[in-house]
Amino acid sequence: MSLLEVKNLGISFGGLRAVQDFSLSIPPGGLFGLIGPNGAGKTTVFNLLTGVYAPSDGTIELAGRSLVGLRPFQIAEAGLSRTFQNIRLFPDLTVLENLKIAMHLRGRHTLAGTILRSGHFRATEADQTRRAMELLSIFDLTDRADAYARNLPYGDQRRLEILRAMATQPRLILLDEPAAGMNPAEKLALAESIRRIRTDFGLTVLLIEHDMTLVMDVCERITVLDYGQIIAVGEPAAIQKNPKVIEAYLGEVANER
Amino acid sequence: MGEGLEQLSHVSDRAGVGAGMIPRWVAPCVVVAFAFVMYASGGFVGDYASRVMLDTGIMMIAAVSLTIVNGFTGQFSIGHAAFMAIGGYVSGWLTYYGLLATLGRTTDLGAEHGWLLLPAAIIGGLAAAGAGWLVGLPSLRLRGDYLAIVTLGFGEILRVLLQQTDRQRFSSQEMSEVGLLGLIVPPDVGGASGFESIPKLTNLAWVYLMVGAVILFAIRLKYSSYGRAMLAIREDEIAAESMGVNVTRMKVRAFMFAAFFAGVAGTLYAHQPGTLLRPADAGYARSFDIVIMVVMGGLGSISGATLAAIVVSLLNVGLLELADYGAMKWRMPIFALLLILIMIFRPQGLFGLREIWDFFRSRDRTGGGR
Repeated sequence: MSLLEVKNLGISFGGLRAVQDFSLSIPPGGLFGLIGPNGAGKTTVFNLLTGVYAPSDGTIELAGRSLVGLRPFQIAEAGLSRTFQNIRLFPDLTVLENLKIAMHLRGRHTLAGTILRSGHFRATEADQTRRAMELLSIFDLTDRADAYARNLPYGDQRRLEILRAMATQPRLILLDEPAAGMNPAEKLALAESIRRIRTDFGLTVLLIEHDMTLVMDVCERITVLDYGQIIAVGEPAAIQKNPKVIEAYLGEVANER
Repeated sequence: MGEGLEQLSHVSDRAGVGAGMIPRWVAPCVVVAFAFVMYASGGFVGDYASRVMLDTGIMMIAAVSLTIVNGFTGQFSIGHAAFMAIGGYVSGWLTYYGLLATLGRTTDLGAEHGWLLLPAAIIGGLAAAGAGWLVGLPSLRLRGDYLAIVTLGFGEILRVLLQQTDRQRFSSQEMSEVGLLGLIVPPDVGGASGFESIPKLTNLAWVYLMVGAVILFAIRLKYSSYGRAMLAIREDEIAAESMGVNVTRMKVRAFMFAAFFAGVAGTLYAHQPGTLLRPADAGYARSFDIVIMVVMGGLGSISGATLAAIVVSLLNVGLLELADYGAMKWRMPIFALLLILIMIFRPQGLFGLREIWDFFRSRDRTGGGR
């Protein structure tokens, strides 16, 4: 059975059909890619999956549970987390606090316990700190735990966003252009990290990426979107040769030849 | 993984303020001890000085509580005085008519009635929190500046409504004539001429016990999972919701916490010697005073709001001292000028988003920022 099952998803903004008839099935442990030219609707798909937008039609199921109509925080609870194309960290909080915020939903918190600093409260805080430090060690960020997120270099901010998404303890993680703005060496390291996320943490990954080398390198299966519609689905090698995909990216080169 | 655990000991966990190394009972003990000193010193501090300290303390409670909404969650409430007024009027009604019915008088009370302030403050706070829930629930569902408009309107509506209340009853005989229901609908709290002779139960000890309570509450909230969820809303509402924070619920809760302590401050104000509780106390002029303190201190900074409350209160006193030279008419221009200067030279407020103790942490790790 697939972990994520999306069927005939669509959304209209006024008269504009931003996404139409989008279907996707990801098995547990899969590492899938979603690509397409600028404005194709990739981020809109992410926003539909995470409840930022309500779909006009279609169904979304995570491990058999429908996500349609849930609010974003409920979808996070259900086990689907994400990063953002334009980084959305909590800039004036520390790296540690950024991660602990994402752990809030998994804890039990009472006001009395919080104000009286109960034993349960202290245990929860200590546990959150420990888990946050473990997460930071994945990207060698442990010594930055106390820094304000706004003071991190760009690449570290992207990494922290991935860690923050992982801190919600998701089953499926959506990465929106994780390599944007990274140099080739950083991209190589990122590809390695994404693979590790999957193998070491048992996460299922769906990523949007413009960097074809990275996508072709890490993804098992790719869905290509253009003008809100799926134009191709398949393995990286097949996608690379697909004339429709080439056309979408480069224009109608083939006909002029 | 092992590396991460080793690092743990080097990280000065910010939850450590209040938790961490200091035993959790220390802070409450300090608060109680300080309140006791205030109580004991009541006889030594002159009338004038103690009046200034009472006013300052009440403004500190108001400013710190407003920080929970305006500073933690980043929502902009400009009707805090209205919640103070609700606390003041509700608790004042209870203590005034309660004592009138049982003792037959509300003045010349002995020390044995001092404890009455505590239940009064709690009930005043709960009434204000209830009002906060009613006001907050519809307006906080929306993203944007609706809260500012709604709270401003709420304060003005309350002010006008209070002007329309019934005249006050001054004897237990009058009370029995109107009956309990008559005292409640409409409330007999004096209308436009103000609510007189509320028992003078407020003293320095009570005020600074509550100051300690609200500061302790705010700090422990800020450095907790609960409070961080609120801070996340200020930082980025969309990201907070995507990371599992129930944004609406957190905003409404923050708003109710703030309203509760505003109600406590209002109770202290209503029972303060030398004050007459008037409908104007609910209006926007007083609300703005509190907003000014929060903005001046730095949005989200508990220590900043506390300090700003002291500075603004003392500035008021200083201008009062110069009243003979016509300084009072300069009060508003001076405040306006002060705010303009702060906005030019330090738009983030005295401490910005930070607390005073954050400035003592190592600079290379945390430097910069707002």
